[in-house]
Amino acid sequence: MAGRLRRREFVKWTGAGALGVATGATFSPRAYGATKKEVPKGPIKIAAVSFLTGAAAAPFGIPGDNTFKMMADIYNQQGGILGRKIELKSYDEAGGADAQVKLARKLIMEDKVDVILGYISSGDCKAVLPLSDELGALIVAYDCGSHELLEGEKSPFKYPKYTLGFRSKAHLGIDNIGLALMIKKYLPNVKKIAGINPDYAWGRESWRVFEVAMKKLFPGIEVTVTLWPALGATDYTAHITTLMNSGADIVHSSLWGGDAVTFTKQAIGMGLFQKTRMAYSRGEPYPQELGADFPEDQLICCAGTHYFLYPPHDKWPLNKWFVEEYHKRYNKYPTYPCYHAYQAFAVYKAAVEKAASLVGGWPTPEEIAAAMKGLAIETPSGYLHIDQDHNGREDVLVGFTKKVEGYPFPILDPKRMEVFPAHMVNAPAGVRTEDWIQSWKV
Amino acid sequence: MVLYILNGLYFGAFLFLTSLGLTIILGVMGILNLAHGSLFALGAFMAAWTIGLLATGPPSTALVLAIICSMALTAAVGFLLERSLIKPIIRRPLEYQLLITFGALLLMEDLIKLVWGGEARYASAPFDSMGRASLLGLEYPWYFVFVMAFTALAGAAVWVVMARTRAGIMLRAIAMDRDMAEAMGIPIKRLSSLAFMLGASMAGLAGALMVPTSPALLGIGMEPLIMAFIVVVIGGMGSLKGAVVGSLLVGQARSFGVGFLPELEMPILFLIAVLILIGRPQGMFGKG
Repeated sequence: MAGRLRRREFVKWTGAGALGVATGATFSPRAYGATKKEVPKGPIKIAAVSFLTGAAAAPFGIPGDNTFKMMADIYNQQGGILGRKIELKSYDEAGGADAQVKLARKLIMEDKVDVILGYISSGDCKAVLPLSDELGALIVAYDCGSHELLEGEKSPFKYPKYTLGFRSKAHLGIDNIGLALMIKKYLPNVKKIAGINPDYAWGRESWRVFEVAMKKLFPGIEVTVTLWPALGATDYTAHITTLMNSGADIVHSSLWGGDAVTFTKQAIGMGLFQKTRMAYSRGEPYPQELGADFPEDQLICCAGTHYFLYPPHDKWPLNKWFVEEYHKRYNKYPTYPCYHAYQAFAVYKAAVEKAASLVGGWPTPEEIAAAMKGLAIETPSGYLHIDQDHNGREDVLVGFTKKVEGYPFPILDPKRMEVFPAHMVNAPAGVRTEDWIQSWKV
Repeated sequence: MVLYILNGLYFGAFLFLTSLGLTIILGVMGILNLAHGSLFALGAFMAAWTIGLLATGPPSTALVLAIICSMALTAAVGFLLERSLIKPIIRRPLEYQLLITFGALLLMEDLIKLVWGGEARYASAPFDSMGRASLLGLEYPWYFVFVMAFTALAGAAVWVVMARTRAGIMLRAIAMDRDMAEAMGIPIKRLSSLAFMLGASMAGLAGALMVPTSPALLGIGMEPLIMAFIVVVIGGMGSLKGAVVGSLLVGQARSFGVGFLPELEMPILFLIAVLILIGRPQGMFGKG
């Protein structure tokens, strides 16, 4: 009975989400509703692309893919989308950008998929998203973080960059701006910072946004050292020694997956946390991965408000449902890639249903895209808004780690958690993130 | 400064074990084994699994058993690999070797996923339980000291096998002139399998020693493979002495590079390799 109630509750929540809150969508029933269209009888073909092999598989790709499968199953139990069953197929993101471009072309041109929901790597997103307009197919990037993906080279820039290409989440700006705002609020006497970030677009962009925000909020702050280990490194001892000698009050890091775990484990062993404090821009999964060893009092950002304890379950039952459903199926608490996968799937479903309600049948990719632009839905993490530049806008949750009885790993200290609202951590459409930060009056 | 030297030695220990295996196989069989990274990963997964299985016992016992199990498994897989895939292409051109061993790399990655799944596997108990040593007024994890000492022992054992045993002398003879060794009646096929098993077990050992400080993950063998290639290029293909010197050089260059030229952490290593290749194309201790 309890399970039934939960499911009914979920249907209620997602039903509300499916209708969407049309915030500024340039969509008119008059434009599309002239003739009633049929809803095809065959299944909807959805390609889910995540890392299923390689170092990004365990912390990101597999949890994300698990969620895609879970949601396909649940939506199918509810009758699919507009009565069409969902046929979800998972594909491996491994092999580099060229391989992903080939795969996307095959999926769109040969397999005739209705939509691609995918990509963790920013490089893959940058390579694949242009295919949306070239091949006339809907592509929704679900986890990649590069803020440059949908931004122009100079402010102001024209948007959207692609008619049929979207990202159903906010970019890395929210993590790094959120960290800077948190430091300003809780650690206002910081004088020196350092960074250790992976040596490719993600790491470089993360550090750039953090550095710009910190210099804006703390005029005269000193950057003591910036380190750029290669992706997939198994030894960080030299980096840790350098950071320990740097005298930095805070070390910023966008290391992720096995890299973040390896670095943290070796840093614990070498005593880094006795000398400085880490600020992890995507740290949310790692206390759970490392368990009780993960140090207390470290700054953790959640890539949005994606946390198994936030929004609080009593206030936001959709998160309670999501956490319990995921835990029941996979015996783990969902981490942020799971929330991102949910968002991509839910945004697509909501956009199809919204477009269909206006055009009276199965919508074209252009009609779905028009419905997706400006869409706002409820997700397990709160509200998600897809802005006019086709990029998601979200609040961001930042906190300090703390050991709390009842959990086998440190959680975010309930007394030192902050949610920075979307308008404080996301640049408006048409303005580059760095330019927006520079325009702040501090 | 002392810490940078220690860090360089610690990193060099992994480089040495991985490149030692690569160079034995390359020297004796003339095979450039791209699947070597997967053997490293296999050792890591096996060790993580063993340590996890023995989680209730003393971590040191679990570590010793993990090392034994990892070396045994990688040696056995190396044997099967050599007999099934390597043997038929031993006299074929290099591109066949690259294709076959790259195929083996992908195959083993999928096998690891099939057996252990795609989740990260943690086995940090040995690292956590050893604590930190006070050395020259500096704090340094005992586990890192253990890795360096164990690597030195393993290297010495391989040297004794290669220099003092009949099998080792025959392996060196094969490495020097395969055709002549065959003409002299040396059982090349049997010894090739032995060389492959020895090389594979060194990669397995490196993976096992790494896993207490880094989770076993799919794709974890790629970085060690690339770094081992740099060591072999610098030290000289097929040279044990080259593996020692190359590992020490690369380990120290990376450690001090991170400390004093962090923007050039990786380029420094490639620059050293390029300079050696220009000045001495066969590597520091390779055959001319």
